[in-house]
Parts: sequence; C-alpha cells; structure tokens
Amino acid sequence: MAKHETPLLDQLETGPWPSFVTDMKREAESRAKNERNIEYQIPQDCCDDLLGVLELSFKHGRTHWKHGGIVGVFGYGGGVIGRYCDQPEMFPGVAHFHTMRVSQPAGKFYTTKYLEDICDLWERRGSGLTNMHGSTGDIIFLGTTTPQLEEVFWELGHNLNQDLGGSGSNLRTPADCVGAARCEWACFDTQAICHDFTVEYQDELHRPAFPYKFKFKFDGCPNCCVASIARADLAFVGTWRDDIKIDQEAVKAYVGGELPPNGGSHSGRDWGPFDIRKEVIDLCPTGCMRYEDGKLEINTPECYRCMHCINVMPRALRIGNDRGCSIFAGAKAPILDGAQMGSLIVPFIKVEEPYDEIKETVIEPIWDWWMEEGKNRERLGELMKRQGFQKLLEVTGFKPDARMVQEPRTNPYIFWKEDEVEGGFDRDINEYRKYHQR
Amino acid sequence: MAFVSSGYNPDKPMENRITDIGPRKFDEFYPPVIAKNKGKWLYHEILEPGILVHVSETGDEVYTIRTGGCRLMSVSHIREICEIADKHCDGHLRFTTRNNIEFMVDSKEKVEPLKQDLLSRKQAGGCYKFPIGGTGACVTNIVHTQGWIHCHTPATDGSGTVKATMDVLFDDFTNMRLPAQLRVSMACCLNMCGAVHCSDIAILGYHRKPPMLDHEYLNKMCEIPLAIAACPTYAIKPAKVTLEDGTEVKSVALNVPRCMFCGNCYTMCPSMPLADDVGDGIVLMAGGKVSNRISAPKFSKVVVAFIPNEMPRWPTMTDAIKRMVEAYAKDANKYERLGEWAERIGWERFFEKCELEFTHHLIDDFRDPAYFTWRQTTNFKF
Amino acid sequence: MDQAEATEKIVTALKKKKGKTKFYFNDLCKILGEKPRPAKKLINKMIIDEVLEYWSSGSTTLYSLKGVGKQAAAEHED
Repeated sequence: MAKHETPLLDQLETGPWPSFVTDMKREAESRAKNERNIEYQIPQDCCDDLLGVLELSFKHGRTHWKHGGIVGVFGYGGGVIGRYCDQPEMFPGVAHFHTMRVSQPAGKFYTTKYLEDICDLWERRGSGLTNMHGSTGDIIFLGTTTPQLEEVFWELGHNLNQDLGGSGSNLRTPADCVGAARCEWACFDTQAICHDFTVEYQDELHRPAFPYKFKFKFDGCPNCCVASIARADLAFVGTWRDDIKIDQEAVKAYVGGELPPNGGSHSGRDWGPFDIRKEVIDLCPTGCMRYEDGKLEINTPECYRCMHCINVMPRALRIGNDRGCSIFAGAKAPILDGAQMGSLIVPFIKVEEPYDEIKETVIEPIWDWWMEEGKNRERLGELMKRQGFQKLLEVTGFKPDARMVQEPRTNPYIFWKEDEVEGGFDRDINEYRKYHQR
Repeated sequence: MAFVSSGYNPDKPMENRITDIGPRKFDEFYPPVIAKNKGKWLYHEILEPGILVHVSETGDEVYTIRTGGCRLMSVSHIREICEIADKHCDGHLRFTTRNNIEFMVDSKEKVEPLKQDLLSRKQAGGCYKFPIGGTGACVTNIVHTQGWIHCHTPATDGSGTVKATMDVLFDDFTNMRLPAQLRVSMACCLNMCGAVHCSDIAILGYHRKPPMLDHEYLNKMCEIPLAIAACPTYAIKPAKVTLEDGTEVKSVALNVPRCMFCGNCYTMCPSMPLADDVGDGIVLMAGGKVSNRISAPKFSKVVVAFIPNEMPRWPTMTDAIKRMVEAYAKDANKYERLGEWAERIGWERFFEKCELEFTHHLIDDFRDPAYFTWRQTTNFKF
Repeated sequence: MDQAEATEKIVTALKKKKGKTKFYFNDLCKILGEKPRPAKKLINKMIIDEVLEYWSSGSTTLYSLKGVGKQAAAEHED
C-alpha cells in the first residue's frame, strides 16, 4: 500500500516509454520490503515521500524544493547540491535531500561490478535513486541527509577509488564522446585526454577559484556528439589536415546499391535508390567533390571536413591520417547575454600525451586571464565579448588567422594602440603650426 | 535505523582523508572486444533500429543494442541492467550522452537472445523497460534536467514532460523514417543546466511572474546584498518596507520590467519564491543543432512563446511537438536537419506548415543580437 | 605573504563588512592583494583550518567566515 496517493503520477505509468514513476515505486517497494536486510542510513520511506512531493508539485504546478548552499564535504567547494523540502512535516523522508555528483569514467563504460558497488553504497546511504547521468556527465546521487555526505564520500574514496565531480565556480567534470573506443571517426583519443585533464586539474575541479563554472568537452570529430561546440568553455573537436581516404570499390558498392547509405540510418522509409550525385556531391557544402567515370575525387584543400560524405559512405571514406583537434572557446547557454557558440582559437593542434602544448599554451593562459579579469559570474565567452577576441590572442600569444573569423569586421573603428603607429602619439603642435595657421 | 560509520571521524576530518583521485580510469571498464580494437574500427552499420555493428580492421565485430532509459533511475533498475549485462555481455555496458544504455556483444549470435530479453521486460503498466531504438534518422532519448523532482527553480517538470513527449514520439524512437536525426532536449528553467539551446526541438520551462517578496522574513532569512547581487539584470534594490502592523523592516524592491524570471534571487534568498501555477509553463524552441555536418551548428529559435503546464501529460505541448515532427518528416529532404529545412523553406513557411501561430513574443528584443534577426531583405515569401 | 598574515587580513576585512557575509573569490584576492593563483593556496588553507567555509548556489561558489551569516538558520543546518 503506497504511503501517498498519487493519482496524477499514476497516469504516467502507461504508454510505451519507460515510466520513471513505476521505477520510483519499485524502489519504494524494495525499500519497504528490505529483502537484503540493509541498515538504511536515511529514512526507509524516502522514495514514498519523494513520490508524494512530486505528486503535490503536479497538483500545484509549483516546485516544493529549496536550495541549500552550505552543505558539502570538507575541503571541497563542489560536488554537493543542498536540497530541502518546503513541506518537511508532510514528507519527513525527504526533508533534507541533497544531491551528490560522482565523477563519471570517460566514455561512460562500466562493469556491472562497479555499478553494483555504487548501487550498494547508494541504497544504504542515500535514496537509491540516481541520474544516469546528469547534464554535465556526472553520475548523480539523488537525495541524502547532511550527516551521510561525508560517509558517502569516505566510502567512495576508500572502497571504490572514486571521487566526486564538480559544481559551483569550479572546473566541471569534463565529458567526452565514445571516441576511438567504438567509433571509426575519432580523430583523437577522447577518453585518454578527458581522463588526463580531469585528473590533472583536480584542484580546479574541487576548490573553486574561478569567476564561474568552466567546462571542457571532447568530441572526436565534427559531428560533435557531446555538443562541445555549444556547451564547453573550451571545446576540443577532432579534425584532420590531409586527404580523406577513399576506397573506390566501396564507393562503387554504394552507387550499385550493395551497401546502405549512411550506415543504414534511413531504412525506415523508401527514399529510392542511392544517388551519389544528389546525396553526396551536390550536398557537399564546399563543392570539392567530383564523381566521374565511376571514380570519386575530393579536392582536399577545399574540403572543410563537415563529415557529410563520410557519414553517408562510412565504408568508402575514412578520415585522414594527420589528425588532431580544433579548439573553440567560450560556448555557453543563453543566461545571461544570450547563447554563445564556441569560437575557433586553435585551428589545429596535435593531441598527444602528455598534452603539454594544449595545457601550457591554451588552457593555463586562458585561465590566468579569466581568473584575473573575469567579473563574478562571467563565463569565458562573455569575457571574450567584453574584452575582445584580440585580448584572447594577446594572452595566448596565438597569431591571428583568417580561419578564426566568419568574415572580417564591417566597421573600420580599429582602436590603434600607440605602439602600432609609427612615431607614436606624441607630436609637436608647434612644428604642426609652422605649416598650418590657427 | 542505527548510524553505521564508514570510518570517517567528524572530529578529525583530515585524518586518512582521500581526495583528488578523480574518476575511475576508463580502460578498467572496457569490454575485451573494445579494449582490443580501440582505434582500429573501420566502419559501422545500423542493422535495424537500435542495433549497430562496428567492424574492426582485426576482423572483430561488436554489436551494440541501444535502449532508451529514464535518466531518473533507481538502483533496482540499475541492478536489472547489470543482470542483463552479466547474462549477455560478460558484465559490461555503457551509457550514452543522451541517457541511452548500450549493451554490447562480440558476435551476431548473441544479438537476438539479448534483444528478446530486453523487449520482454516490461513494467506493470505495460511500459517497456528497455525500448530498443535511438539510432540513425530518428528521435533519440531526450536529455533533460531535474524539474519538480529535485530543483528549486523549475518552471515545469523534467521527467514528466519527457515521459509524455517520448510516449507521443515513441514510433520515431523505434523507426528511422525521418530525414535526419532529430534531437529533443528539455530544460526546466531558463538557466538551462541542461543546455538545450542547440536542439532540433527544445522544451524549456519558463516562469512569467517576478518573485514574491516575503518582507516580514526577508531580512531574517537572507543577506540582502546577496539577493541584490544575484540578479543578472540588476532589478533588485534595497528598500525599507512598513509591514501591516506598522513595523518598518529592511527588505528589497523589484524593478519589475527588468525581471527576466530566472529565479537566481530565490537561490540566494528563500524569501523570494517565484513559482506559480498559472505563470509557469513551457517555451518551445526549434531548429538548433551541434553537428558541423553540411551547415554550421545553430541555435534553436523560440517557436512557441508559452504553453501552460498541463499535468500530468502536457497535451498542448506534445501536440505542438508532434505537429513539428510530422511537418518536418513530410517536407524535409533526405539528410536535412529540422533547422536546415526551416531555413530552406523560410521561417514564415515553417509556422504555416507546423500550424503554429507567430506572435510578437517571437520577435527578439533582448539586447544587441536582436537586430540581426529582423528581416532586412525583400527575399521573403507570401 | 605567510599564512598567518593572510588569515589575519581576511578575518579582519570580512568582520568589518556590514550586512554581508558571503564573498566571491575575487573579493578575497583583492583583500589579500594577491593574484588568483597564490591567493588560492592561502584561501584553501583557511578552509582546511576552518576559518572560512564555502557557500554554493550550485552554479557559483561564495566564501564566508565559518558559521557566520543567516543561511545556516534558513537552511536548517545550524
């Protein structure tokens, strides 16, 4: 028998898509039965109460949570988000119900052993409810009491060799795509660099000294499956500089209909026979491809590696061998001055362990600049807008490159600096007057 | 409920403390076929919706079954995932960026039993536990934020709107009939902790009423300078207020026209709540993408300024989404993303084809970029 | 700057501020007159010494003298 009636939520228990309501009820029931004889460290009926709070929000059309900023684990300024219910008498099981962010492994591969250990810990010391995963990428532990925060952290560190993730004015837990682990288009090992940076910058991740949040994301190719270019203050997007490798026999097989275009991704509808001209050559945004006499040619210097032809004919076309990444700075969601896409600051850089060049010439100079000049709650992208792209070039020492802009400026209002103008700004008015009357 | 210590000593927090170890290293978790073939993959193919094969230059193959999942997930459900992975996948699995679960096997014979097992598991109300799909030209799982389950500033629910939407779009999760992939994302307030601003379709919770001021308690509960500093538009200033009983208290005043309804003040000050049953609801955005394929990444545009919260299934919202998906499916060219389609036919045509009303709220009036969105050419359609 | 001097500076400065107990990292740097990186080392030590504590909005982190301010009561963590 459920502790709270949930007539509105119950209506989300039908339909084909998995029901989170049914799943929460399952956990509530499992805790009530306690077949494993667990010594629950937070209220056994917390899932019932969470269902109750949610039902109340469905009824009221308003949230019943309050934020809390004090709670955390000792010495860390991130990884825990305080939550308190605004109806603690009605729902004592979730009166204090804090979130913990657990740093996910790069690529989000798991063994069942690890996940079961995580489940055992969180069932005992928390609600048994998680997010797999949160928006930034962490494993989210959803709901525990204040005294359990240190206990969970202790067990994570001592028993599971596992740390918390970032929140607040920290480096946030970096995230990456599946990459070379299971994708033929990865131009660098996203997992290796994601893990390396996460470990290297643990202090930045746990001890807030930034003006605001900062995100790294790693996409192995321009398809951008982790949306780095839209979301990360520094986005690393795989690319290459040499020829796309062409297997002409496989091209013929696509043309002949022996291979399904786009890896079979359009099989739900009859789009007619594959037409390489219409579907590849004419859609190529740079017009750098030719298909004549059964032979495909790509004019490499004109190609900008948008991935379309490779996506359509994965067995015929492969990324080049001279691989690395492009780096984009300053992406963010709209709050406050509008959304920003990452802007290209490094057209190409090799991605090789131990990544010193990236750390020393890109990340650290940019952090130094932002930490000194960034206003409170100003993302890197906003600082770039406020102080200008030139300033970013100045602090990193990168040479200006036409690749860095969509187009050159349309106003001539160049704020020339004195040292850029021959002879400087100091002039002799009397000398001038010799030739020009007052 | 006896307290069981982990070993932590609250009197000496630094004693034997382990910090800064980061996450577990990714390669501990690779299935053997992944560990062996990493960096050697030649190509992939989607065999049927939700089922992929990747082929390596070593000749090895890995078959992946992608299943949808609720990002809000119980440990009981995770244990069931583990049971499946133990039975079929030698104890390995992975999650995708979009909250899907991927079960991988190293030979084709193992696919069918795994598939049957996954599809046979249903919840009591008939919902699939592990719907297979989310690959290729389809709608994949919706990434979303907490909403009413755990957040203090949401204008709608996360899991509820997502469940309602995925039920309506379910056929396009399990089928690949669309012109290209269609990514739906959900964030429950404008702070967008789930960045939805580059999605084909974005569901966004939005408040429309400024915070209420609990004057009697405000100065007792909050530090007024913090509440003032929290406001991104500088709409809050200190004020002296006379309560009904005649006492004068320190509080704040709001410059209401400046308020963008972000709730940042409520984060700092619990005496400034802004949630409202009528004021809060949904904004729909469309036409964004993050891929560089063919055209550059794009931001999503606001296409419906407001839809009320209609619990538990948000029918007006899901109808509008369904209309967009159907119009796109019918009209777009192969490989064309929703935003590319809208730009090709023109946004004026988009509203017509999706049967959405164009209102003044959809014309940008926020700061500098607004100007660049107004029409400055004779090239438009009647 | 040595740690004792830095702590003294921070404690004195924060105690002086009226009606405000939470500060951004940059405010503390200014009090110390140090650049962010050296300041961070000193400030971290003040956290470990339980002179300072964090307060997090989730997206932003503030610093205050330990136990000072109205949040503790408002958040039922006093």
